[in-house]
Amino acid sequence: MHTSSTLKKEFLKKWIKGLQICCSSNKKMDLMERKKKIKLSADIAMASAKNPATSWSNALISEAKKNKQDTILVNSLLGTESDLKPQKNTDRIISVHKRVQYKKILKRSCNAGKRMNKKKNLVATILAKRLVKKRTKVLKRLVPGGESMNEFSLIKEAMDYMLSLKVQVDVMRSVVTAAEVLSEDKLMKLVE
Amino acid sequence: MEKDKTFTSEGNGISQAWNPILGMGIQDSELNRNCFFNPNCEDQRDLFESALSSIVSSPVSSHPGIPIPGSADCIVLRELIGRLGSICNSSEISPHNSCYNTPLNSPPNLNLSITDHQIQGNYHPIPPAPFPTDPGFVERAARFSNFGGKNESFKAAGLGDSMEEPSVSETGTKEKSTNRRKRKVVPKGKGKETQSSTTISAKDDKVVAEVEKGESDAKRSKSNEKSTEPPKDYIHVRARRGQATDSHSLAERVRREKISERMKFLQDLVPGCNKVTGKAVMLDEIINYVQSLQRQVEFLSMKLATVNPRMDVNMEALLSKDMFRPLVSLPNNVSPFDASVQPFPYGLQSQINGMIPDGPENQISMNPLMAAMHRNSITKPPHIDGFGEASTLWENDLQSVVKMAIGQDQPQGFHGQMKVEL
Repeated sequence: MHTSSTLKKEFLKKWIKGLQICCSSNKKMDLMERKKKIKLSADIAMASAKNPATSWSNALISEAKKNKQDTILVNSLLGTESDLKPQKNTDRIISVHKRVQYKKILKRSCNAGKRMNKKKNLVATILAKRLVKKRTKVLKRLVPGGESMNEFSLIKEAMDYMLSLKVQVDVMRSVVTAAEVLSEDKLMKLVE
Repeated sequence: MEKDKTFTSEGNGISQAWNPILGMGIQDSELNRNCFFNPNCEDQRDLFESALSSIVSSPVSSHPGIPIPGSADCIVLRELIGRLGSICNSSEISPHNSCYNTPLNSPPNLNLSITDHQIQGNYHPIPPAPFPTDPGFVERAARFSNFGGKNESFKAAGLGDSMEEPSVSETGTKEKSTNRRKRKVVPKGKGKETQSSTTISAKDDKVVAEVEKGESDAKRSKSNEKSTEPPKDYIHVRARRGQATDSHSLAERVRREKISERMKFLQDLVPGCNKVTGKAVMLDEIINYVQSLQRQVEFLSMKLATVNPRMDVNMEALLSKDMFRPLVSLPNNVSPFDASVQPFPYGLQSQINGMIPDGPENQISMNPLMAAMHRNSITKPPHIDGFGEASTLWENDLQSVVKMAIGQDQPQGFHGQMKVEL
């Protein structure tokens, strides 16, 4: 699709930039560190390449910023964009959402007695609701920044996140295969 | 592209599904359908009205169980019509007000106009808006593909989806007063909607129409809070027969529908979820898919870390390649690559560094990467202009060696192997 190919290019560019920045530091990194750096730069590239209107991207970036080790990488990748605002917004949203959640809990406990009287309490529906709740919790944990969203926007964010993850996976996979090819050729020639 | 197709097919499927539903109990279902799809309904309004009058009259007559006598029933209905009509007309009718533009309005408006000629006269100034079904779905699909987190896509979707309900409810419920409608007001025109949605509570078998403005206001404010669209936007909902008319439950229902609407979108995104129904299972699938994607990212980054000890090389090549034409031929460049590998027994970096500076060599390093990236094998070698910039990154005296390597003939032996690997 048109948009995904442009997105891929954007993502790739940013990712490469991030990796270059990583490698410019001369210290030797072991495997795990390298992997983390790669993943981190990929994630941030993804988040920034995407339209910053989506909240999960902001959440990702803000999380990355909190980790002080990586701030250099993050800041250089993002350039001079002022991402403080979205961070503030997310914090506020989180606090507001928590307040709402507390109120909901209170309400639920008050209404628990009333609900029992209604006819709708079939076992199946209760079970279904519980399942749905469990799963939305899991989904909230998966999607970055999903804790502070109501169910409705969570689904939207999840969709967005899924799309961008797909893009990310595609790009990374092709880069990996290409790198493999190169290294294998090199090794073969070395052996010969 | 694929999504567009699925959406259009979905739109077609839905529009086809309407026919049996519409044709169920109503004589002039054809007209109804045409009216829905026809942007210029005004000509057919009379037909529509007559159709609806037949609808209204037949159920009333066919339900002997209704305690209220027919005449009283009609009076009540007339009152309702009057009130609703006055409410409709009192609000600002702007040409851009999609509340009136969508033919969603046509059923309620036409319902009202059956017995009240005064109200009929008021329908003429209402401009019918183009409200195609299939194009609407296509539009939604097109917008959905530009998944930039815009609200518009979902508004259009909402318009598209909310289309289904009135027809279904129209045919499903024989009692006119308990029709259920959902309209989304797109804030193109003025944001001030003074029209209050009326909630009609149907109690058991009685046909009683009540207009509760206070409740509808409360509901509207609630749905305002709950809707994630711009604040000017709100949703009109009417209570279904036999359901509670709390502002709470109405808002709940609105919310539920929005969610289910989005679940449908998700079904198309997640592979293999077409036949799954129900929120819980869908959510499960979504969770699995997202988890698998995340794991893939982890795995790939790990792999990249192992493959590429220096983590810098390919990226630079890719970057410089990416700035220019991405399409590279596979067979042409394999052999020079093959040839030029020899002079560089040491790190991958130097290998590619050496390759980059000269024009045609840039193809080489780029080639396997970009071929893998884009899976194209167009035999035109890219014209590389700005690689001089890239070369400044790696000043290397291996350039000369590379030139030598390039000068050789290009054996094709490597070709098959490259293909296998890729």
